[in-house]
Amino acid sequence: MSNADLGMTEPDRGDEQEPVLDPKVQESIGRSLKAHYDDLVSAPIPDKFLVLLAQLEAQEQRASAGGTSDERL
Amino acid sequence: MSASDFKDGLIKEIPNLRAFAASLSGSMQLADDLVQDTLLKAWGNSDKFEPGTSLRAWLFTILRNTYYSLYRKRGREVQDSEGTYAERIAVHGNQESHLDLADFRKALAKLPEEQREVLIMVGATGLSYEEAAEICGVAIGTIKSRVNRARTKLAELLSIGGLDDLGPDRQSAAAVQRTGAEIVRL
Repeated sequence: MSNADLGMTEPDRGDEQEPVLDPKVQESIGRSLKAHYDDLVSAPIPDKFLVLLAQLEAQEQRASAGGTSDERL
Repeated sequence: MSASDFKDGLIKEIPNLRAFAASLSGSMQLADDLVQDTLLKAWGNSDKFEPGTSLRAWLFTILRNTYYSLYRKRGREVQDSEGTYAERIAVHGNQESHLDLADFRKALAKLPEEQREVLIMVGATGLSYEEAAEICGVAIGTIKSRVNRARTKLAELLSIGGLDDLGPDRQSAAAVQRTGAEIVRL
C-alpha cells in the first residue's frame, strides 16, 4: 500500500509558531480523546467480519489444497 | 506468517479499525463498510505486510487511503441518520475531571480531517508520531504541528481556556439525559 498523502492539498506548516496550551487543558483533552476512542473500541466485533475472514481463509485453504503450500508471507 | 496467524492479527485489530474509521468518517455505518474494504484489501495484499512491523499502522494506512479515495465524499453526503455512533455515549462514573463526551465529540467533528485523524492516531490509538507520519505520508514535524493545532482548536471549541470548566463530572448527569435530538455526528 502506498503512503501517498491522498486528499491533502493544504501546504504543510511544520515549523510555524504555535500557541502552547496549558498542560491541564492538554491533559483534559487527552483524557476526553481516550474516553471517546475507548468507548468505540469496546464495542463488540460484528459477526460479519469474523464470517468474512473465515470465508477468506477457507477459500485460501481450498486453493492451497490444490497444490501450493499453506505458508504465506 | 501463516494465513491463520494473519487472520488472527486482523481480528485483533478490528476494534481499533472501527474506532478509527468512525472517528474519521463520522458514521458507524460508513466505518463498518470501510473496515470491510480494509480487511479485504489487507487479505489480498498480505504478502506486502512485513512481519515484525506494526500491523495496526499498516492497516490504518490502508483504511485511511481507502477513506480518502472512496469514502470521503460519501461521508459528507450520507449523514449518520441512524445515530448508532452517538448512541454509544458512555457514562463515566469515575471522579476524575473530564469533559462531557457528547460535547467533546461535537467539537472533534468540527476539526479539519487532517487534524482529527492525527489527534486520534497519536492521542488514542497508541501509534507513535513516527508511525502517524508514515501513515499520512508527511514529516513528523507536520504531525506535531497538526496535533498542536487540533488541541488548540478543541480547547477553543470547548471553551476550556480556564480551569473552571474542568470541574469533575459537572455535566455527566446532563449527558445521561441526552436524547436523539442532540446526537453527535462525528
